[in-house]
Amino acid sequence: MSDMRLPIVEATPLLRANGLVKRFGGVVATDKVSLTVARGEVLGIIGPNGAGKSTLIGLLGGALTPSEGTVEFDGVDVSGWQAAERARRGIGRTYQIPRPFLDMTVRENLLAARFSLHPFDPRARAHEACDRILERTGLADAAHLSARALPLLRRKRLEVARALALNPKLLLLDEVGAGLVDAEVSELIELIQSLRRDVEGIVIIEHVLRVVRECCERLVVLNFGRTLAQGLTADVLASDEVAAVYLGTAQDRSKSPPAADKSTVAAPVANALSALVTQSPTRADTHPLLELRDIHAGYGQARVLNGVDLTVRAGQVIAILGTNGAGKTTLAKVISGAIRPTAGQMRVDGADVTRSPAHEIARLGLSQCMEGRRIFATLSVEENLLLAARGIAAPERAQRLDHVYALFHDLKERRSISGTSMSGGQQQMLAIGRALMSRPRLVLFDEISLGLAPVVMDRLYDALAELRRAGLTMLIVEQDVERALALADEVHVMEHGRIALSGTARAIRDDPRLRHLYIGTAD
Amino acid sequence: MSVTLKQTALQSAAPQWQARWLALPLAFAVLAGLAPMLSDYALEIGFRILLLVTLAEAWNLLAGYGGLVSLGTAAFFGIGAYALTGLVNKLGAPLAVALPLAGVCSALLALAVSRAVFRLRGLYFTVGTLALAEATRLFMINYNGFGGATGLFLSQDPPGLRALYLIALGLLAFTTAVMTVATRSRFSILLRAVRDDEDAAAQIGVRPFRIKLIVFVLASFLMGVAGALQGLKLGAIEPYGMFGIQWTVNVLSIVIIGGQGLRAGPLVGAIFVVGLSELLADYPAVHLALTGVILIIVIRFAPQGLVGLVQAWLAVKAQEAS
Repeated sequence: MSDMRLPIVEATPLLRANGLVKRFGGVVATDKVSLTVARGEVLGIIGPNGAGKSTLIGLLGGALTPSEGTVEFDGVDVSGWQAAERARRGIGRTYQIPRPFLDMTVRENLLAARFSLHPFDPRARAHEACDRILERTGLADAAHLSARALPLLRRKRLEVARALALNPKLLLLDEVGAGLVDAEVSELIELIQSLRRDVEGIVIIEHVLRVVRECCERLVVLNFGRTLAQGLTADVLASDEVAAVYLGTAQDRSKSPPAADKSTVAAPVANALSALVTQSPTRADTHPLLELRDIHAGYGQARVLNGVDLTVRAGQVIAILGTNGAGKTTLAKVISGAIRPTAGQMRVDGADVTRSPAHEIARLGLSQCMEGRRIFATLSVEENLLLAARGIAAPERAQRLDHVYALFHDLKERRSISGTSMSGGQQQMLAIGRALMSRPRLVLFDEISLGLAPVVMDRLYDALAELRRAGLTMLIVEQDVERALALADEVHVMEHGRIALSGTARAIRDDPRLRHLYIGTAD
Repeated sequence: MSVTLKQTALQSAAPQWQARWLALPLAFAVLAGLAPMLSDYALEIGFRILLLVTLAEAWNLLAGYGGLVSLGTAAFFGIGAYALTGLVNKLGAPLAVALPLAGVCSALLALAVSRAVFRLRGLYFTVGTLALAEATRLFMINYNGFGGATGLFLSQDPPGLRALYLIALGLLAFTTAVMTVATRSRFSILLRAVRDDEDAAAQIGVRPFRIKLIVFVLASFLMGVAGALQGLKLGAIEPYGMFGIQWTVNVLSIVIIGGQGLRAGPLVGAIFVVGLSELLADYPAVHLALTGVILIIVIRFAPQGLVGLVQAWLAVKAQEAS
């Protein structure tokens, strides 16, 4: 730690990383990555899941020490510095999976940053500074709430707010746009643009291409820990190489046929899939498989669902759309039995299950692929899968396992490693596979594309299309409207805890009200 | 509209604040004023409760607010007792000097081991501190320089029970003041940030090592003075008693029964534990078994302890009223 600061000349970039290498045991997560962030610049880092983007943020922010290479910040070599020292010097970072101080209020979360830097700041000034940031990040109404009470997406905002409370020179944003609908993405872009005035440089890791396209001057593309491409945003996004490893069909989705219409599935896979799907008994013709009547639910004082009616018949694929906070995940929780509705009725095959605990609902053949994947970290991939098929005869279990592996080859190769040590896309495959292991009649997929590279989303939605052909009844909660519409027969759009708009996918696609509900859907 | 809301919240909070500021010193004054009227039995029980509350407060600071769940209480308690005896016997130090210095000795021990134990996190820290306590106990038993297994006698007569009660009251008053500063000030925000997520705290510029060291040293100081006071009362100390695991366990059960991370937890817990042991003084076996059962029940049904239970009940009442 030299106190001899180099005189900052015009040419000194805000951040310069030289040949960064990070090894975890034998795995090289980051391999000779070099990059610079000039003053006033917004740099984007994109790449498939598992490419080493978050590791790179860790190396820049000081959570990880590089195995080789150096990080220079503001003209000073900070490679050996602890995270706290780098933060005090002006590097603020967010975590991809938010890590707020759960048992503190939202404002206290920010005050911690403030007081660590300015321990003797007058109380009023510190509070005012924090409230200004909360106002800016749209959390002003939550200042007194404990961070535990915030849902995932507001926790992401808190991550940004907390990093801003540090008054950083350089801001590292790790996937803050994941899970936002278009209107919210526009807000985020506006926030990032406005931050340019306060922050000298920003590094953004993002899968939401609009954010990348509209905010970043330059892009660095990582693949397998290495720099694949680097350059001006427009040039990088236009490159064929990048399209192959990362973008997939995302660039020209309008031209590509909807995933559900592809009919090139190898026969063994199709067979494997039908073996994983329980065809509903005939009496399902008289009763719908799942029926919700006037469901009200919420958390303590907060009412989230205000009378939801929903009918799912065997073989249907139903998409549930809506902005964040509309109640989609809460609806999923009601269906799984994780929370009990305060009013209304839920029926499976005509039988009332409103008061049934989650495991009994699961036993009726309703399976969940929960938001955030919920992989058991201490179990291997195979153990994660087998867990969903307990009490099944061993040969049958082995067969189902094979079928899941046939659907997702990545999982077979990684069967014995810990479930959470895989990339985000593979974890999501595992979560889907696990939901199928119980040979369900209905699977609820909650935000399976959250935080995934476009090319991985393609693969997942191809898999879903295959499942649909195999006759699986599906409920899909999704933020990506286009993908959901391409797959679903019927679409319900939620607003303020109610279903505001229903219809066939084709009808909804052209309905101006859908656009209205998702204000900002420009392209 | 939000501005007016904020103002009313502040206004209603202000009288509460004042009441709280007055209530505590008043309570201490009453307890001190009662001293001449109390019987020997009452003083004995009072001393025990005061000492245990002090220990529990110190442990609560570490575990409840700092997330440092320590099983090393006995080490710092014992060092305090031995340091006091040494200071009085060898140097003839007056009590007013020897008591705080004994605490400083414990704090120095904390400082010395901090680099090692802070390398351990979570459960490993807990086990590490337990090892520390056992190591110091075994050392004291086997090393003859401090009287070995037979221990040491205090060369001067211990002060009377009433004086001891008042000293313990003073110590608790000091502890309460420390706790108020540590849990109400901006330091508490940093402390809780480190408790909730050390890495995330570092990412916003908090230096976790420094914050943890401050509470560890502070808590060890308080435990050391408490140990010194217990040594002073007994007049004779030996390693089995002063470094015994029962100090650690007692403090733990007091905080768990009272309520972890809650200000009133240690007091309620100490009164409960001491009261129970007095009620069942003639049936030691039943006492132990019953304490175990109570601990299990509390952990299962009232993870926030008795105080947490009352708070939850009051919250429900308030909701019903509104």
